[in-house]
Amino acid sequence: MATAVMPTESKTPAGCATIASRAKARAEATPDQVAMRQKDFGIWQEMTWAELWEQVLTTAHGLLSLGVDTGDRVSIHSEDRVEWVIMDLATVAIRGITVGMYPTNPSAEVEYTLTDSGARIHLAEDQEQVDKVLELSSDAGSAVEKIIYLEPRGFDGYDDERLVSWEEFLAIGRQHRQSNPAAVETAMASAELSDVMTLVYTSGTTGPPKGAMLTNANADFGMQIIVNSQGRFPGGKLPDHNDEILTYLPLCHIAERLFSTWHLVACGTVLNMAESPDAVLQNLREVQPTLFFAVPRIWEKLHAGVLIRHSDASRFKKFMLSRAMATASWIGRTRVANAGRWTIPARIVYAIGWVLVFRALRERIGLRHCRYAASGAAPIAPEVLEFFIGIGLNVYELYGMTENTAVATVNLDGRMKLGTVGEPYPEIADGIRIDEESGEIQMDHPGVFAGYWGKPDKTAETFTSDGWLRTGDVGEWVDGTHIKLIDRMKHIIITSGGKNVSPSEIENALKTSPFINEAMVIGDGRKYLTALISIEQDTVGNWCLKQNIPYTTYRDLSQKSEVVMLIQKAVDSANEKFARVEGIKKFRLIPKELDHEDGELTATQKVKRSAIHDRFAELVDSMY
Amino acid sequence: MYRRPHMFTSYASEAKILSSTTQRVAMAVGLTVLVLMPFDLPVINQLPFIRFLGDSDWLRPVSTVLVFVIAAIGLNILAGVAGQVSLGHGFFMGVGAYSAAFLGGDATATVYGHGLPIWIWLPGAGVGAALVGMLIAPIAVRLRGLYLAIVTLGLVFIGIHLGNTDWGRRFAGDPGLGRDFPTLDIRLWKEENPLVSVSDDGQWLWFDAATNQKSYLVLLAIMLVMVLLAKNIVRSRTGRALQAIRDRDIAAEVMGIAEFRYKVIAFAISSFFAGVGGALFASLVGKLPASEWDLFLSVEFVAILLIGGLGSITGTIFGTIFVVLGPLLIEQATRWLDRQTESEGIFGILADTVLTEGPGDFGPVSTGTQSPGWPLNVFDWNVALYGVLIIVFLIFEPLGLYGIWLNIKSYFQRWPFSY
Repeated sequence: MATAVMPTESKTPAGCATIASRAKARAEATPDQVAMRQKDFGIWQEMTWAELWEQVLTTAHGLLSLGVDTGDRVSIHSEDRVEWVIMDLATVAIRGITVGMYPTNPSAEVEYTLTDSGARIHLAEDQEQVDKVLELSSDAGSAVEKIIYLEPRGFDGYDDERLVSWEEFLAIGRQHRQSNPAAVETAMASAELSDVMTLVYTSGTTGPPKGAMLTNANADFGMQIIVNSQGRFPGGKLPDHNDEILTYLPLCHIAERLFSTWHLVACGTVLNMAESPDAVLQNLREVQPTLFFAVPRIWEKLHAGVLIRHSDASRFKKFMLSRAMATASWIGRTRVANAGRWTIPARIVYAIGWVLVFRALRERIGLRHCRYAASGAAPIAPEVLEFFIGIGLNVYELYGMTENTAVATVNLDGRMKLGTVGEPYPEIADGIRIDEESGEIQMDHPGVFAGYWGKPDKTAETFTSDGWLRTGDVGEWVDGTHIKLIDRMKHIIITSGGKNVSPSEIENALKTSPFINEAMVIGDGRKYLTALISIEQDTVGNWCLKQNIPYTTYRDLSQKSEVVMLIQKAVDSANEKFARVEGIKKFRLIPKELDHEDGELTATQKVKRSAIHDRFAELVDSMY
Repeated sequence: MYRRPHMFTSYASEAKILSSTTQRVAMAVGLTVLVLMPFDLPVINQLPFIRFLGDSDWLRPVSTVLVFVIAAIGLNILAGVAGQVSLGHGFFMGVGAYSAAFLGGDATATVYGHGLPIWIWLPGAGVGAALVGMLIAPIAVRLRGLYLAIVTLGLVFIGIHLGNTDWGRRFAGDPGLGRDFPTLDIRLWKEENPLVSVSDDGQWLWFDAATNQKSYLVLLAIMLVMVLLAKNIVRSRTGRALQAIRDRDIAAEVMGIAEFRYKVIAFAISSFFAGVGGALFASLVGKLPASEWDLFLSVEFVAILLIGGLGSITGTIFGTIFVVLGPLLIEQATRWLDRQTESEGIFGILADTVLTEGPGDFGPVSTGTQSPGWPLNVFDWNVALYGVLIIVFLIFEPLGLYGIWLNIKSYFQRWPFSY
């Protein structure tokens, strides 16, 4: 339908392959295939490749007419939606640099990111996000010239002359396109591999966030190695246009960018934009993605959801589900012992379970058609993965970070080792080493980033003297092929007894309990280990309801002696897995929900240890 | 979308009547069974527990079900979808029946009739009733709930009274016997030999069919069309407007739904269905006095709605089957039990305890046809059963049989969780 408006004069010499040039090639090859879907008034509105490219062109022209030049930064502050992807592609098409921001970023962090990156054009989703920019004092030094907003609601009476609505912006773009029809193609043709295409701000559990510069070459390498790595996928079937992805993690994070945008342009995978972070579970059920990437938090949530609904089920369903879970755990153990492969008995048992429970169970959690799932971005408890492997999913833990374009290690199909983050991609086998002295994982391959934006000193710190990227993660080889992550280097606890302890492992064991949302192990320089634990309000509240324990607020809930007893049980069962010195002696429940806005969590929901340590110092001291 | 039943990429896909393959298969099987129902099938009837009706006593009651479904859906659109209580449904059916008689019946010295073909008198019956319904509608804008019910109740008595006037008799015929209604024969115009003969036994295509079998098939076709029509009304803009009025008429008006207009539309649609149902019912019975369109008929439809499920087309079909065939089943069961009185074993004992054969015998069910008080006979038990069922459903399952069906369905849809 939209093929008629496809530009035909695009015979200019092509520049290097960028995400924009790949999108263009797709739009020319398969104009009528669906590229993205976004839910609008209950209907998943589809956007074909032709429509997508048409919008990207108009947007790119709009940026050109606003004076965006090679190397200029365009910041995007929005939930996941099609305009995010369009703006990203358009910016890269005209050799600009995309800067993504977390929707939860409070005003101070928005200010920091805008000043640090020097973005000239800012795309804000709605009034709330626009306000965060308008609040900034004029001497903050932000270079924002235009603020484009997507949702027009609430903008009556705003008279800041930098504001322009998405529709107006597109109109500007169309005008520019009429007078300079080939401007975008010209820019695309001059693209170079060394062009920085995006700044990905790291979450900054310690200092302020740093903008990692990823070049077209980095992105290209990432798409070659990760997206097109046959060994990752069961049966070697690469992602294609038949695959569905639910885009729900923040697109400014390298993981979702890689998993969504780059899969979209490299493989033609269909993206479905989740409505909001709260609607993810609902959207998951509607979309039933075939490829699914989740951070441990989401896997834990899905797992806890099954456990809670199991305990709430009526008698017969409860019985069936109990049987199914026991079976799943057996299948999980069998497959894990077999490097993720199926054995014939496991297949037979699974087939029976499929008819009775597993099919429905997977449909309910939205992973019925999921053929490949991955967990990454943070360490996950092996028990959780084992459960999902047991209900027949192919879940692989992988490892990567912004600074290496997420190209590091992966559990390949049929070569999985639970508890490890997998083996280096075959293409970069020589590019990964573990420093013998510190145990740090170091890398050198084409995916390694170009440095931090405007921070040459920080960049220098990140590289070893021989030019290898220091990941800051401590790991060890397992059987000489796989890598097991121990922890972040700076997180390792040395107790006063001189024992080295990795807190993440203990914390993950704690977090397998559906009642524990977040846990932070403490003990550096102390006699024994303790933990600050934040409870999961939904599940604990639900539990209290069934026990007839009345409660009012989160604070009240976390102070109930019954709740403390409940968590004690979870802590005890986690302790069983560790040596005595690694056991948690005491714990305290944090009386408030951890929050990004209060500086306790990063935008990616990782705990900021020092902040929490300071804030709840009294609680910590009371344990020693 | 195939494989993704909860993902809708257009409003059309969301509003689909049969959204899953299972539903489509079930519908195809159901339709096949319904079409084959009136025939003696050589192979199938050999199977245990499966009997198609053939030309048996059951065919007529089943045909009645088809007709009642049409009329009941009309009431459901008014009461269940639009929330306007009406006890006057029998009146609108009567209006439809006499419109049909006026248009399609044969004129005699005492009654009107124009002998027009079915494709005129059947829609005409609906339109006639709808016009009368539209006259009543303005009252519904003023009155709600119980008051509206009382006004519509009055219609029934006015109707019967009108049927007794001299003018009314020109339409309704003799108050005792009634008049002849048009047959279901399908004619192009007033020709002698009908295009499709329904009212005679005889050859149809390549098989023999009796009148009952033929009229069953004709009524089935009409019912299916009407059900589809109702389904489409409910899921269209009109249907949504009616539901908004049901949920809160003031709120609906605030949202821009013209209350007056849509209440008139609700009465018009409802009466149209009632009219068509009434005309077909009269045609099926053949001869009816005006006093048949009475309060009891109206209440029967209220019972169908409450037992079947308010606001649901599927529920209406359940309810009609239950209310129309239920009494027949009980009657047959009693007759069968009566024959077991002399036999040995539990059935004999059961018959002894349940049935009262004459004076001095004990048991709650009398086998007599008169109703001399306790023990009640089968017919009185049926009437009592209605009352009990309505009370039970109102208290325990306000959504009726459809609600029970929904519960069963959602039990499996929620599998393996409870929510």
